[in-house]
Formats: sequence, structure tokens, C-alpha cells
Amino acid sequence: MISIASLSKRFPNGTLAVDNVSFDVPEGQVLGLLGLSGSGKSTLMRLLNGLHTPTSGHTTILGTVVDQCSPAELRVLRRDIGFVFQQFGLVGRMTCMENVLVGALGQLRGPRFGIRSYSKVLRRQALEHLDRVGLASQVFQRADTLSGGQMQRVAIARSLMQKPKILLADEPVASLDPESSVQVLELLTRIAREDKMTVVCSLHQVELAVGRTDRLVGLRDGRVVLDTLTTAETDPESIMHLYRRTGAAEVVLTQEKEYA
Amino acid sequence: MTKSGETLPLAPKIDVSYISKIALVVTFFVLFLWSWVKIDMSIFGFFSDFQNVINLFGRMYPPDFAEISTVISAMVETLWIALLGTLGSVLLSYPLALLAASNTSPNRVLGAFSRGAITLSRAVPEIILAAIFVVAFGTGPFPGVLALALHSVGMVGRLFADALENADEAPREALMAVGSTKRQTIRSSLIPQALPSMIATVLFRFEINLRGSAVLGLVGAGGIGTIISESLETIQYRPALAAVTVLFVVILLTELASNAIRQSLIGTAANIGLQSQHTRLWARLKQRRDTQVLNDSLARRSIVQPWTSERLFRLGAMSLVTILILVAITTVDINWFQMLGNIDRVQIVLKQMVPPSFAGERSMLISGLVESVAISIVATTLGVMVALPVGVLMARNLNVRKWFSTLMRIIVLAVRGIPELIIAVIFVSAMGLGPVSGTLAMSIAVMVFGGKLFADSLEEVSPAPREALVSVGASRSQEFVSAVVPQFVPSFIAHLFYMFDVFFRSSTILGIVGGGGIGFLLISSIRVYEFQLTLTIIIAGFAIVLVIEWLGLIIKRLYR
Repeated sequence: MISIASLSKRFPNGTLAVDNVSFDVPEGQVLGLLGLSGSGKSTLMRLLNGLHTPTSGHTTILGTVVDQCSPAELRVLRRDIGFVFQQFGLVGRMTCMENVLVGALGQLRGPRFGIRSYSKVLRRQALEHLDRVGLASQVFQRADTLSGGQMQRVAIARSLMQKPKILLADEPVASLDPESSVQVLELLTRIAREDKMTVVCSLHQVELAVGRTDRLVGLRDGRVVLDTLTTAETDPESIMHLYRRTGAAEVVLTQEKEYA
Repeated sequence: MTKSGETLPLAPKIDVSYISKIALVVTFFVLFLWSWVKIDMSIFGFFSDFQNVINLFGRMYPPDFAEISTVISAMVETLWIALLGTLGSVLLSYPLALLAASNTSPNRVLGAFSRGAITLSRAVPEIILAAIFVVAFGTGPFPGVLALALHSVGMVGRLFADALENADEAPREALMAVGSTKRQTIRSSLIPQALPSMIATVLFRFEINLRGSAVLGLVGAGGIGTIISESLETIQYRPALAAVTVLFVVILLTELASNAIRQSLIGTAANIGLQSQHTRLWARLKQRRDTQVLNDSLARRSIVQPWTSERLFRLGAMSLVTILILVAITTVDINWFQMLGNIDRVQIVLKQMVPPSFAGERSMLISGLVESVAISIVATTLGVMVALPVGVLMARNLNVRKWFSTLMRIIVLAVRGIPELIIAVIFVSAMGLGPVSGTLAMSIAVMVFGGKLFADSLEEVSPAPREALVSVGASRSQEFVSAVVPQFVPSFIAHLFYMFDVFFRSSTILGIVGGGGIGFLLISSIRVYEFQLTLTIIIAGFAIVLVIEWLGLIIKRLYR
């Protein structure tokens, strides 16, 4: 589904945000991307759907090489990739319904303004998705009247409008309080598994990731320092231990063992 | 789908705010059409009108610089009027602002009184003040200086008071804790914090006053405006263009200079990484010298503040301004002793203004005001229609090609340099007297004024929803309509009413140059000493401004 091959990204100001990263994500896997802030998680996510272009290396998603796409091809590719942002990316003045409806823009031609400019079929879908994330009663409320957790649920509903095969979530719960963090992440992974999506979700709390993901990849200074499969029984402490201790060489070893 | 989903409606309920928004749009269109008919605008007329303007420019070209020395001395006088007017407004505003700002005001009564004085000083356009002062003191630059000084207090005083109120309270508490007096705390904690913003305000006002002083000549208050209007009236088009060119260049140069000073004060220039090799070398030398100076004074344990490059720059700028002011005071054509001795003549004129009366011109007054309102509605609407795309092209965050936005900004800045009354003079001599010329001239001013406002708020739009829409595969136009436009609507409405306010005020003076509206009656009332009528017109105009501001407040609430 996703294949990353020696991907690097250096920003114009000289920062090397992603440094020679390679790994594959098989279909249906829920992958947690761990790392401190500034470790290159967000940049890597944005390289995956072409919001950034890599300095070197390639990403192949759904059989398409992302960095060789024309702008039009990129738009077509992005329709199949849902993206959930840390800052939600909602327009506060618009209702939840309209914020969800814009998720369908990739399938539509031309600009849309106002709920009534979307077809009834799409509106009904938007309602279903809002219902699924538990916000059916807030459909016509303005997005800026919601709590953080509710906003992120609207954002999840927006990406469901795309019927994505792949879901990228960039720190989806980093701006939320601990309780809503658990709720939102629970919702996100449950929906992803129900709809058989492939997920890459970046997080900076190991405890949240363990038990909800199939595999954890750790980044430090733009390099992969950890790559391990997880189950519900995995001990967060052992992961933390690995993340702190491992140098790049050891990680390559574990990787080779697991994916030989 | 669950049951609860099925019973839910697919569109929001039609509520009061929805209906009022529709009603608002309809009302606006009706008003626009009514104004359009009222001032005899016609779409076909557009082409012949603009053809006439182009023809006029054809007859103006090439500019005739034969009388360049007269033009330059008039231009210098214009500069001095602007400089001295700004100085006067600072001298008046500083104490008023200290009295008005909530954190420095000695008591509430004085505070409210000074705030009222600051607001009222803006009520009368500077050129009308100048015309009144010309009656009191005779023609010449003095009435111009006085008019600019008084009118500018409305902006300078308010922004000074805002700067004081925005200052951080913590340093003030620290000073009070060491037992300093109230005056000491103000001087040592509030003023140092407010100073950069105050200087920026003064520079900005100086730019506005320069454009203002360029037209004061139309009412006999000195400067280059006299030359432009006289040569147009006597069909000497080519010397007129020469004068306009000189004015344009000088305004552009001062604007660039004051921009540079402002940047060095507020400090964005320091962070720009695109400096040329030359300036980088200069910066290195400067830094080396500064470290040396600082270390020296440390080694000698000097209690004299070291002469760092920043301090040298500040001293240099201050001495330059002081010298300019001294030169202005001594060389401008004003007999200061005589004029300041006659200052009580203002009082005589003021006494003749009360009580306000219609002086038998009630119907003229009403039709003039109605025409002014119609002019401002049509001019603002037409201008905004152009200003919106211009603003989009100027916004750096919306364009892939950054140089294009920069180019648009430069063009708009250049057109903004020409005072709107000068544009009106040119349009009137091209298309003839009447509200159509005035409206079209004003719509040009709206275009550039609005373009800048719109571009600035478009650049403040949050990028997060845009990124989200790019991620769902939306095209650029979809992203613009669904992520940028909804965020922009509230500031657009706010700007729209601000522009109605500004350009209604402008439309009341278009009549001075024959551009329609109440201005003709206003200036005539001054020229024939009907000061009671003058006051009536001023009060009525101010009432309309208040109504516009009140409407704006209500409608802004609708589009939060």
C-alpha cells in the first residue's frame, strides 16, 4: 500500500527534517509513528500525500509514485488518502455539516459555497458520517462552538467523505485533553479497522499507541530508530526502553529480523 | 444509517439571521440601483468617460517642465505644510492622549472630555477647516498648517492613547513598587513601551498629511494644489501634468523613506534573510564596531551610554527631523508673530457659526447630502468590485508567483500616492462637472485603498483549513471558495463599512472641485460667510457618519 524508499527532505532553511527513511506499510496495517516534536513525523506525513516534495528518495502509494505526480494526478491520488491534522483544519464559521461536506470536493468539479450547493446524496452521507462519530445532534452547529475533541471528530468525518483507502493522521490527539485523546483515538482506530483502511498515525505518547496499533515506528532527528510489531500485550515501558536506547544500527537489525 | 440520522434535516433551518442576510443583500442592491440612477451613471457612459480621461492625458503629454522652479517651490511649501501640520498635531495629541488613555488619565471627567475632543476633531474634513481658516487669516500656508494640525488630532490622538493603553502593566507595577510617583511611572514604563508605535503613527500621519496638503491649494491654503487646479482651469494641460508628476514622485519617495524608517523601528527589516552582499558586509562592520564600543565602555567602567550604531542612527534621525522642522519654520511663507497674534480670529469665525441654521437652503442641503450618499455608495461598490480581485492578486499567500503579488503591491502603492481630490480635478476637467466625474474618481481611490485592506486580511487567513482541503484533493478554486472565502467574510464586511465611512467623508468634499455632492454648498457657504449654514452641513454630515458606523456595528454582528 505504502512504500517509502530512502526518503529525505531538507527545507530551504537547511533543516534536514527527514533523513533517509525507508519502510513499507502493508494493506490494512495500523501503524503508529512515534517521536518527539521536531523528529520529522509531520514532514514525513506530508511527504506521503505530496504536500511536501522530497529532496531525494521516493514514496509509492497505491501504486503511484507520489513525487513524480503532476498537480492533477496528485489531486486524484489525494482523494483516496484521508488526512487528519493536529489543528483539525476546520473553518470555525462554517457548520459541522459544511465542514464535513468539503471532504467530498475532490470528487466534485468546481467550487461549492454553502450547504445547499452540495447534492442531497452527499448531504445524507455527511449526516451518516457525523452520526458515526457521534455528532448527529450538532450537525448545524458552528464548528467554533465545539470542544477540541468534537472538532477532531468532525475532521475525521470529513476524511470519511473521501471513502479513503489510506488514512494519515498527524498528531490527531496532541491538542486534546487526556480523556478526549483516548476517545478520539479509540474512534479513529475502530473506524479504520471497520472500513479496512491502512493507517499511519503519528503520536508522541507510547501509552496511547500500544494496544491500538499493529506496529510502531520511532523517529528521532528524522531517522528511523525503532520499528517493531505490537500487540495488546506489549509493554509500553519496553518500547520506551527501545526508543531511548536504540541507535540506528540496532534498529536495522530488528527490522531485518522481522521483515526478512 | 441510524434512525436518528434519518429524521435529521439535510439543510439548516431557515432562521432570522438567514432571512436578514438575504434582506440585507436585496436592500443593498436596491440602494445601489437607486444611487446609480440618482447620479445619472450609465454603463455606456463609462467608455466615453474613460475615453475622455485618456484623451486628456494625451493632451497633457509630454509634461511641460518650463515652470519647474515655481512647481518645485510650491512642492517644498506643500512638504513644509505637511511637516508643520503633523508637528502641530503631535503637540496637541500628546497631552490629550495622556488625559484620554484609561491608564494615564487623571480622572474620568477629563478622560471623557479629551476622548470627545479627539473624536470631534476628525468630524470636519481638513480641507473644509482650511477653507474656514483662510477666511479668518487670509490665503497662504498658515491656515493649511492649522487645519492639518487640528484634523490630525482625531487619528494621532486616538492611536497615541491606544498605544498607551496597550502597554504592558507589569513594568508599571514594578515601578510603583519602588515608590515612584505617577508621573515617574508614566514616563519610565508606559512611554518607552508606547514610543515605537507612536513614532510609526506620526510617520503614517505625515504621509496622509502630505497627500492632504497637496490639495489645500484648492481653497487657497498654499502648496502645489493651486498650481495644478489653476493650470487645468486655464487649459494649460502640459504644465499641469508636470506638477502632478513632481507631486507623485515626491509622495512616492517620502512613502518609501518613511516605510524604511518604520521597518527599522518595528524591526522586520532586521529579520529579512535576503540581504545583498553589500548590506551584509555593512552589517558585519556595524556589528564589529558595536562589540568594540560596548567592550570598551565595559572595560573603562564608563557610565556614559556607548555610541552603538543603533544610538547613532537614532540621534541622526532625530537631528534630521529637528533640522527639517527648523528649516520649515524659518523658510515657510508664514509671519508667525502676526498669525499667532491673530489666533483669536478663529474664535470670531466660530462665534458666527452658532446657532446652526439652514439659511434658506434646506432643500439644497438635503439634495446635496443625498447625492453625497449616492456617490459614496456607487463609488464604493464599483471600487470594491475591482478591489476584490486586486486584493487576491496582492495577497502573497494566495499566489504561486510571489513576484507578481509584489508587483501588484507596488502598482497599488503608486496609485495610492495620488490624492483623490487631484484625481477628481483631472476627471472633472476631462468629463465635465457633476457627480459622475466625482464618483469615477473616487472609485479609483476605493480600488487601491480597498485592494490593500483586502490583501492584508486575506494574508491573515488561517492556512490550516486550506491544507486540509488540499489533502482531500480539492482544486485551487475549490480550496479558495471553501477555505479562504468563509474565513474572509467577516473582515470583508468590516472593511466595507469602514470604506463607506471613509468615502462618505470624502464625498462631502468632492463638490469643491465640481465632483458633485454636498461639497459645493459647503464651500460656497464658507466663501459667502454663511457660517451658520456651514455648521449645519457639518453636523448633518457627521450624523450620517454616525449612522453608517452604527449600521456597520449591527451588520458586523450578523456576519461574525
